[in-house]
Amino acid sequence: MPERPTQLTGALAAEASRLLACVHCGLCLEACPTYVQTGDENDGPRGRIYLMRAVGEGRLALASETFTRHIDRCLGCRACEGACPAGVEYGHLLEAARADVAAGGRKAGWTSRALRFALRHVWSHPARLRAAFALARLLRDSRLPNLLLSTKLSRLLPARVELSLALLEGSRASNGEGAREETAATSVEAEVALLFEGCVTEGLFARVNRATARVLEANGCGVKSPGGQVCCGALHAHAGDLEGARKLARRNVEAFETEGRAPVVTNAGGCGAMLVSYAHLLAGEEEYAARARDFSSRVRDVSQQLEATGVRSAGPGAGEVKATYDASCHLLHGQKAQAEPLRVLGRVAGLELVPLEGADVCCGGAGVYNLLETEMSSRVLAEKLKHVGETGAGVLATGNPGCHMQLAAGARLAGMKLRVVHPVELLDESYRRAGLYRKR
Amino acid sequence: MDTLVEKLRATLGPGQVVSEPEELLVYECDGLTHYRHRPRAVVFPTSTEEAAEVLRLLARERVPLVPRGAGTGLSGGALAVGGGVCIELARMRRVLKVDVENRLAVVEAGVVNAHVSRAVARHGLYYVPDPSSHGSCTVGGNVGENAGGIHCLKYGTTTDHVVGARVVLPEGRVVDLGGAGAESPGYDLLGLFVGSEGTFGVVTEVTVRLTPVPPSVRTLLADFLRLDDASRAVSAIIAEGLTPAGLEMVDGATIRAVEASVFAAGMPTDAEAALLVELDGLEAGMDEEVERVRSICTRHGARSVKLAADEQERKRLWAARKGAFGAMGRITPDILIQDAVVPRSRLPEVLAATYRIGARYGLRVANVFHAGDGNLHPLVCFDSRDAAQVERVHEAGREIMETCVRAGGTITGEHGVGLDKSDYLPLVFSEEDMRAMLKVRAAFDPAGLCNPGKIIPVLKGCGEARAVAEVKSAARGTVEENGSNGKPAQLKVEVNAASSNVLTGTARGPLDPASALAGVVGREHVGAVTTGGDTSALVAEPATFEEVCEVLRLAEGERWTVTPAGACAWLDAGEAQEPSNVILKTTRMARLVEHEPADLVATAEAGMTLADFNRAVGRAGQWLPLDPPGADVATLGGVLAAGTVGAQGFGYGAPRSHVLGMRVALAGGRLIKAGGRVVKNVAGYDLCKLFTGSHGTLGVILEVTFRLRPRPRREATLVARTRDPRALFEAARALAGSQLLPVAVEILSPPLAEELGVIDDNDFVMLARFAGTEGAVDYQLARAAELVEGVLKERATERVEEDEALWARLSSTQSRGDVPLEWRASVLPSALGALLARLGNYGRALTWHAGAGDGRLRVFDDARDVEQALTNLREMRRAARSLVVERAPDELKRELGAWGLSESNTLLMKRVKEQLDPLHTFAQRFDFKF
Repeated sequence: MPERPTQLTGALAAEASRLLACVHCGLCLEACPTYVQTGDENDGPRGRIYLMRAVGEGRLALASETFTRHIDRCLGCRACEGACPAGVEYGHLLEAARADVAAGGRKAGWTSRALRFALRHVWSHPARLRAAFALARLLRDSRLPNLLLSTKLSRLLPARVELSLALLEGSRASNGEGAREETAATSVEAEVALLFEGCVTEGLFARVNRATARVLEANGCGVKSPGGQVCCGALHAHAGDLEGARKLARRNVEAFETEGRAPVVTNAGGCGAMLVSYAHLLAGEEEYAARARDFSSRVRDVSQQLEATGVRSAGPGAGEVKATYDASCHLLHGQKAQAEPLRVLGRVAGLELVPLEGADVCCGGAGVYNLLETEMSSRVLAEKLKHVGETGAGVLATGNPGCHMQLAAGARLAGMKLRVVHPVELLDESYRRAGLYRKR
Repeated sequence: MDTLVEKLRATLGPGQVVSEPEELLVYECDGLTHYRHRPRAVVFPTSTEEAAEVLRLLARERVPLVPRGAGTGLSGGALAVGGGVCIELARMRRVLKVDVENRLAVVEAGVVNAHVSRAVARHGLYYVPDPSSHGSCTVGGNVGENAGGIHCLKYGTTTDHVVGARVVLPEGRVVDLGGAGAESPGYDLLGLFVGSEGTFGVVTEVTVRLTPVPPSVRTLLADFLRLDDASRAVSAIIAEGLTPAGLEMVDGATIRAVEASVFAAGMPTDAEAALLVELDGLEAGMDEEVERVRSICTRHGARSVKLAADEQERKRLWAARKGAFGAMGRITPDILIQDAVVPRSRLPEVLAATYRIGARYGLRVANVFHAGDGNLHPLVCFDSRDAAQVERVHEAGREIMETCVRAGGTITGEHGVGLDKSDYLPLVFSEEDMRAMLKVRAAFDPAGLCNPGKIIPVLKGCGEARAVAEVKSAARGTVEENGSNGKPAQLKVEVNAASSNVLTGTARGPLDPASALAGVVGREHVGAVTTGGDTSALVAEPATFEEVCEVLRLAEGERWTVTPAGACAWLDAGEAQEPSNVILKTTRMARLVEHEPADLVATAEAGMTLADFNRAVGRAGQWLPLDPPGADVATLGGVLAAGTVGAQGFGYGAPRSHVLGMRVALAGGRLIKAGGRVVKNVAGYDLCKLFTGSHGTLGVILEVTFRLRPRPRREATLVARTRDPRALFEAARALAGSQLLPVAVEILSPPLAEELGVIDDNDFVMLARFAGTEGAVDYQLARAAELVEGVLKERATERVEEDEALWARLSSTQSRGDVPLEWRASVLPSALGALLARLGNYGRALTWHAGAGDGRLRVFDDARDVEQALTNLREMRRAARSLVVERAPDELKRELGAWGLSESNTLLMKRVKEQLDPLHTFAQRFDFKF
């Protein structure tokens, strides 16, 4: 289709043809968690695209309350993309809209200003970020948050602070164990995968990174973790800081280039989707466009990598454990990993897997959305927990640290007994029981 | 701030009102983006009561309103023209009740179509209508548009699957239309409401019929290198008497767009057309049907015919079909989507014409549509930023539409008229037709506040508002006249018609009615009949529609009352009444006007008998499967005017569902047309529904177009007998609730069974009729016998192969007593047993039959003791959902009332009657308490 001049400006202007692909059919509405909650078309994908178009046509001010409110209220889960027959790439449109809003000089609330400060001055600097996570771990492992939550003293704190404590507490291993220093006893290493560690994962879920490595090794795939890798930039992009995201993207492309065509493996749906979209993010840069395309084409979730190597199953089971799986939106819609994580879980000895209604619907975590749009987030989360409760499962597996913390925090605050894990953690545990590991 | 908005906020709470102009932007259009009308506010009621409060407020403030569901409509129907308030039902999304045994669900209007099926899936049931937007669109919106979808070829559209609706009228009054039984007496206001596009009120709750998931489904994909071949294959499939559940066509351009989308399903991208054919039903006989479809496609040049391997592949194919409209976004910024329906036999030429027209205007045309219904969806691609293109696209659109109408089609099959097609409406309806529609609209919405500016264009020299006003003043005129003169004077005709008739008290002075009528229809076609006591009426038998109109003009001028009649079997139907002055018999108008076997459609004059009609269309192996009471003598017009369901209505549907179009003479001799001649049609209001079952109180049905069915290859009946009525009822319910597909499951009392010659002792009898292919009928007879004998615990069944006469005798059963008393009742099927028990000893001594599948009971009594009969009927009416007294002594009818109508239905019926027959030319069979 020929490009036509539009009145769109900035980042949205570059997406004009994507905007026009939407024919307003509305098949996306029910896929959108916020539309389902409010029934307001401003809170649905079609409505948000209409608002973006209205901005482009000069009928709506970029800085208007309406535009920012409804763009802010989007979870960015991209479930609408899976429902869209026209293939509208909504995720890119949303990032562009947020970039334009951020550049448009809107007066933001203190939370988003604090967020933007943190993204610019902490997240973009690996050393500072490591220090910040070390502090967070210190707080978490002091058991102070746990104490406050258990004694309900946390109720006295502002809701958002209580939620933050619950989220942090949600990252703690439910069996209290840290990252084990073990290695697979039998490794063939026909292939080597490059592990993308992820800042939140390595900061708060190092055990998942270690489990990922062990599980891959146990299935004959060697793992290396290239130095020089930084945060993927997803939080920046979602917050409208596309330039910040590009800076990080360039560094990651370089860091993983040294290792040739080896697959880039992640265990965080949010990071994975971002890495996949580097091809789009850097498409306009002569120096990086081709390199980013190559990088993105190599990215896969750990479950997708295991699909390639084959997954062994090793008994015995740990007694009857009933578990269910909630899909990370970006793992599902960004990386298109739908059946693979389920197949990984299917190989866990002694695990009874029960389906979760609405497993493909966002949990309301959505990066830092839960702290910015707390009310909407908690409505979406309540619906999710209701369905989880209906399964009767005591274990919930999910493949992204943000979802992990959101679900664990929600269960904790609702007084539900629920163990939240990454799928590879369950597989890892079954391998350990089967004696596949030895101390390093 | 807008004071109206303040009041709305005060009524609903601030969280349920959106009024910021910027937030209203997204509500300025629906699924069709080229019309934009921004509402003044959007309100989100969460209950019927809240909706009613809002409507009362708007009525007081005289502010127009428009109901809206998910906004996926494709006719610009959900737009607030003139800055009205949008009533958004998206927050009313609860499934209120699922009644598995009676296969019903009650849902709020904002429930998403697909969620209904999801909610009942574990019971093996589903909700049939499935428009392409079924994942987003709401049931309320479906009711507004009478939505169709992929499976309406076999199962019908929304109107066939909705049995009740709670509606808030524009004045804020809450009414319940329809009901959950087999029948709700009075005008079919529900049938009229479905498809009224939000111009009659706001629907807030819907009772839908659920259907058992068919045990066996096969989906075939046939691809063609020539479009023409594919459309000929479609005609051939229909003409050969196959009834697929769905029969869809996707053209090459669409295939390529879809195959590039997330909905790619592996359709060959080098094909110029693909047909998706879905067959469903029993496993028995299924392979045979699949082979017939396969061979028809191959014979018509299909390159390959592939059977979907599993449920997953089948779902992928349908998802591809449903995503087709949206997928076009890949190749064009804007789409004009048309929704014309043409007779199926004309598909090849019309389809070719759409591409020709597109090419002439330099526009790309793609087609993806419900081929089995002849429902075309030409998609004309354009770019709305190019003004010249926009103009061309509208011209091309109109030309396509005109081509379809010339081929005998209509302008919309399922999307509705809305704002988009109101300019096209005059292509299919005359001013008189549209005026009648406006009058009906004024009955629901006298103040003209409900979704104004939609459906009916501004009429020549008489704007919509003026038309409504005109109707209102006419009604007022009546009241005044009645006030001064009392009721229109009755014509008294002496018993001896040969002697001179004396006319008393007419408005214009003496006029000899017999001579006047003779002047119109000829002396030999005027007679007299005694209608009870010492009064008699003149009988006029016109031969042409023009003569009918002339008689009606005469009657209006002379203030005569007229009773339309066919076989004269129901002259005394309804309330006890003064006899009419003139009985207008249609029996001389009895021609078969048109029968196109390839389309399964036939048109006949209303005076033709059902039997003659079926003999005529039977020559092509087709029929109209109706067996209402009195079917042996009934005329087509009479069958429809009464609208009564017979035993086989369980399998084939009520008379209303077979009618495609009508010509009707209204009071004053105005001839109108309703509906059309194609199998799917939502152009204008569905007035056919209104006249069906109106007992001649609104007009004279003159001509009817029916949807026919292929005559089944085989019919046979399973007869079961026992002394124990309770066990028999249980067996019948088990059969009706099983996965078998009987067309009737009827229970007969011992006297009736004996009268029909089924048995000669004192047993209750069940008749279960099966129809279909050899194999399917055989299988079902065997399974049904097993099932019934399992419940009865005895070998008590036998087969009747030549069962035609048996069923004919059943439908022509009549009261034998000197003082006939006939009545019928309707309950939920699960409650039929309890109702039968109330007859006293299960009515062992009475003559009755009852439908176990649809909760129908029909009783023939003789009223030796009127007092006793009255007591019994009062009790039965309390127990039943509806009870209609068909024939009874006047004193009984006066005491009890013939219909038992609800107050709100009476009110609406009265308003409709006042609009269409303000001078009360037609007999009053309903008690409106004028």
